[in-house]
Amino acid sequence: MTEALVETIDLEKHFPLTPSLSDTLARREKRVIHAVDGVSLQVRRGETLGLIGESGSGKTTLGWVIARLYEPTRGRILFSGKDITHLEGRELLAWRRQVQVVFQDPIGSLDPRMRVWQIVGEPLLAQGKLSRAELRAKVSEVLPTVGLPAGSIDLYPHEFSGGGRQRLSLARALSLRPKLIILDEPTSALDVAVQAQILNRLVDLQSRFGFSYLMISHNVAAVRFVADRVAVMYLGKIAEAGPVRGVLERPLHPYTKALLAALPVPDARRRAMRYRVSGEVPTLINPPPGCRFAGRCPFVIDRCREEEPLLRVLPGIPDQWVACHRAEEVGEIPPEELLGEMPTLPGSPRSESGNSRPSESTVAG
Amino acid sequence: MAAPVLEVKNLSVDYVVGAGTFHALSEVSFEIEPGRVLGIVGETGSGKSTLAHSIPRLLPEPPAKIRSGEILFRGIDTLKLEKWQLPRIRGTGVSMVFQEPLNSLNPAYRIFDQIAEAVRIRQLRETGKMPGILPAGEPFDYSKRDPPKASDVITKPLVPSLPSKRLRTILRADKSMRREVLEYLRLVRINDPETILTLYPHELSGGMRQRIMIAIALSGRPSLLIADEPTSALDITIQAQVLTLMKELMSEVRTSILFISHDLGVIAEMADDVGVMYAGHLVEFGPLEDVYENPRHPYTKALLRAVPNRYKTDGSLPSLRGTVPNLSRIPSGCPFHPRCPLAKPVCSKDPGPALLPAEGSRVRGHLAACYFSKDVEALP
Repeated sequence: MTEALVETIDLEKHFPLTPSLSDTLARREKRVIHAVDGVSLQVRRGETLGLIGESGSGKTTLGWVIARLYEPTRGRILFSGKDITHLEGRELLAWRRQVQVVFQDPIGSLDPRMRVWQIVGEPLLAQGKLSRAELRAKVSEVLPTVGLPAGSIDLYPHEFSGGGRQRLSLARALSLRPKLIILDEPTSALDVAVQAQILNRLVDLQSRFGFSYLMISHNVAAVRFVADRVAVMYLGKIAEAGPVRGVLERPLHPYTKALLAALPVPDARRRAMRYRVSGEVPTLINPPPGCRFAGRCPFVIDRCREEEPLLRVLPGIPDQWVACHRAEEVGEIPPEELLGEMPTLPGSPRSESGNSRPSESTVAG
Repeated sequence: MAAPVLEVKNLSVDYVVGAGTFHALSEVSFEIEPGRVLGIVGETGSGKSTLAHSIPRLLPEPPAKIRSGEILFRGIDTLKLEKWQLPRIRGTGVSMVFQEPLNSLNPAYRIFDQIAEAVRIRQLRETGKMPGILPAGEPFDYSKRDPPKASDVITKPLVPSLPSKRLRTILRADKSMRREVLEYLRLVRINDPETILTLYPHELSGGMRQRIMIAIALSGRPSLLIADEPTSALDITIQAQVLTLMKELMSEVRTSILFISHDLGVIAEMADDVGVMYAGHLVEFGPLEDVYENPRHPYTKALLRAVPNRYKTDGSLPSLRGTVPNLSRIPSGCPFHPRCPLAKPVCSKDPGPALLPAEGSRVRGHLAACYFSKDVEALP
């Protein structure tokens, strides 16, 4: 097994909400957003860990905490075996050389008043003194690695297309040759044709320079292509984690199954395959005990609402961790049976009225 | 076969702005048969949204300028209508569901008021108190009508503004209105509609807001529903819920739908027919199965192949070289020829065959604006 580059141990990030005056007067319990709630995961050297989840699952917060852009509330982060949870000052700056982030919004994360060489060179400047000529030379070396012409170093970000801006973000992250690059939704603002170019580039760069990626995305198809291992996040917790083929081809957690079934596939023959999980993603404010997915899960039993499932491996399926009390049963449902409605397992009371369809009324007239 | 609900013929739309003239749509033609769902798929800047907005004439003119073409909605050329006549086709004829429901719902009104407004306009039009409903089959004479006098507009507004406070109170007390609004909320499968009625849009989740938008759009009982990226702002499990809902509604309400999306998967899920757009041109058109399984335009093929469907150990993704052209400098001839692996000298001069039905047939079938359609299959 390859060695872990980054390891988080029980990482938590909570955002306390400012209590309103009436909350204070009534002495109500403090409300806290549990954005990341006890996450332990590893990114190994030279591999990509894909972090999948819907909005509000805490995946971006987790990425920011690992990059030390947020202070963790609790837990530890190990980088190459060294505890970096509380690095400060110069040590933190020196460590930053090894971890770079490609931010979600390629427009918002590039200063419109800076030229390409200033944008891409900024991390280099932060890490050491360089003359202007040296900086420009270094930047024009970096640009071709992401597929931008070296001659574009005097342009402004607005002169690039969406894909070009994303390449620019990538070049900025690459300029220091970090060990870990955190990719936060690297392709969500791009069209499919451009997305394919960027994804190919990411894989190519990784094989050339041996970066580790933490790829945060809601786009399962993009993650499938880049990742070696994936972790599925739901409401601040890891629901399932393991090798990409294992998790995506034989999901053991009901949420992973739901997510995969909801994926629209561009195949004319596979229409009408989706089933839905009912309900919406609940709030992260003071979540109830038990499994976070219990409210929407078709397999829910009483135990799920009382006892929180811990990540475990099932016998015979090593390296695939799942946090579900009924993972054995869920894993046995073949993918073909996901066509149509979610099958009901014996023992899960599921009244029709609890579903999201109160009536089948049509428009009068 | 019944007459098509919508026929678009050679529609060209430009945006004339300081930086130049952008050709957002060039000679686009298609039709939608009653009860069918036409999916329009294309990348950013391919003109999908311009197309959607030009049908109910929602484009801001200027900067938009409709250069040529006809948009026949139930036989009426909407491009010839006067501005004051436009409300007649909107809402009860063509209604829209937009991408971002939070921007399309009024934040200052409760859900009840917003649905009730649409229902009331439809009722007024149905009872003839307001011009609007177009009787099927009856020829619509848009040239001879006199524009309304100022006094008419004051007493009988063409489009009632959002209900005044007094009217809202009356509408809220109206039991039959309440029943009807509740029915639409139930139609879009909203749990506990009684409570939802009294809420404001910001109190609802994205999926709920989009359901409300669909309820408002359907409450006009339109003959054509235009859905412009209706699920792109939603999470994937919520998107699945809304798409399932729309599919169920399609069989219940039987409205024709123009469904616009950049997501090939969503289009595959929803559409009966599909049109592929590139740089303002409709490059391929046909029944969904034919287009997806046997694309005849190299761009469609490239687009379908670019969707990531493999692991990285399976090799790199086939990707298109180059980028989408700037709409103010669309290449001559076929707009795709600089990026096309099949390009021949003729492609830079000739825009390719027009997407016209075969002689003597009204059905378009599967067409592509490419002279080398036969070679597309052999492309990697």
